[in-house]
Amino acid sequence: MDPTQYTSSAEDTVETVVGPSVNVEGDFASEGNIIVKGTVSGSVHTSRHLVVEAGARIMANVRAGSAQIAGEVKGNMKVKENLELMSTARVVGDIEVKVLAVEAGALICGKIMMPGLEAESRAMKKTIGKKFDEQPVMMDA
Amino acid sequence: MYVYIYDNFVRNKKFESLIKAMEIRLTDYGIAGKILRLTNYTDAKPIIDDEIKRGAKTVVIVGNDETFGHVLSRSATCDCTFGFLPVGPGNTIAKVLGIPEGEAACDTLSRRRKELLDVGWMNNRYFVSQLHVYPAKLEVVYDERFKVYANDLMEVVVCNLQPYYWKKHTKSQDQQVVHPQDGKLEAFLRPLTKKRFWGYNYEDPSIFPFEEMEIFAKEPFTVEADGKKSKEVKVKIKLAHGKIDMIVGRGRKF
Repeated sequence: MDPTQYTSSAEDTVETVVGPSVNVEGDFASEGNIIVKGTVSGSVHTSRHLVVEAGARIMANVRAGSAQIAGEVKGNMKVKENLELMSTARVVGDIEVKVLAVEAGALICGKIMMPGLEAESRAMKKTIGKKFDEQPVMMDA
Repeated sequence: MYVYIYDNFVRNKKFESLIKAMEIRLTDYGIAGKILRLTNYTDAKPIIDDEIKRGAKTVVIVGNDETFGHVLSRSATCDCTFGFLPVGPGNTIAKVLGIPEGEAACDTLSRRRKELLDVGWMNNRYFVSQLHVYPAKLEVVYDERFKVYANDLMEVVVCNLQPYYWKKHTKSQDQQVVHPQDGKLEAFLRPLTKKRFWGYNYEDPSIFPFEEMEIFAKEPFTVEADGKKSKEVKVKIKLAHGKIDMIVGRGRKF
């Protein structure tokens, strides 16, 4: 993606671009959108949008507001809203996301968790547990 | 009260008629004042401080980008309003500030449209428009949290007032406009990759907004801040807390 195009569409936000053949090491955090075209290792954190372009590599745990991945990510990902995995994406690590879209051809190796479903399963477990607790009482009566 | 700081080169005969016309226009507006002449070895800060003590409220720089950088690199935090009258070649900052060249600049000055501008701090001096680190094997540490490096040479441009221009292809020209009032400096890093036989190719730039950064290298590298070059091994750049009260034009680019 052309960074100039991106800035024109979101002029109010501060843009961070990691260009090709640039390496970033450490706790990489930004208040605005991040576009990664190079290599990042350590950790990545943004409250806004993260774009990992094809050919880019992230060897870090990622936390973002929303993300679009077309490159390689080795590490756990925690995305608040939408995560879009393009056909060239390769993700090795657990994913925690609200809405996930996976294009045909994307590779994922890891656990996928969605908070909404997790809450439902907890409720299910509770109801099952209650029923299980009630049964011995019935037996005693 | 107005004080005018003239660069030494405006004495040149080439600019004589323009300076005379400007002085007449300033007198017409009733904003003419004391004229001080700058030389290469003059530190502007004590001069401006003296004039402020004598009652000066507005200091007007007369010259080009180099003059602007020379005066404000030391005196950016002086308690006065700054104005700028661009004269001669090499005037890019004036365009960013929306100040026209020639006599028309006096009109802008008389209107006194003021803006507070951020200032950058580099090692022991201020810079207002742009800081340029020429290609070298550099390592950049941002806000003491993460470091950025390239496999080969890298060029760094830190923009405060001046927009950063870069070409993606030789024919096209993409432009990034950096707003000086966003409360952050913006660093543009361009790695260079070796061509097949000799020379280098520029890669697409990386962009990092920051408040503090350090640039290291094993060998001394050239730094140009507001048109003044120096050799450094370590440069600490940060956003200064002070701001410049500057008279700007209507057509300013921020």
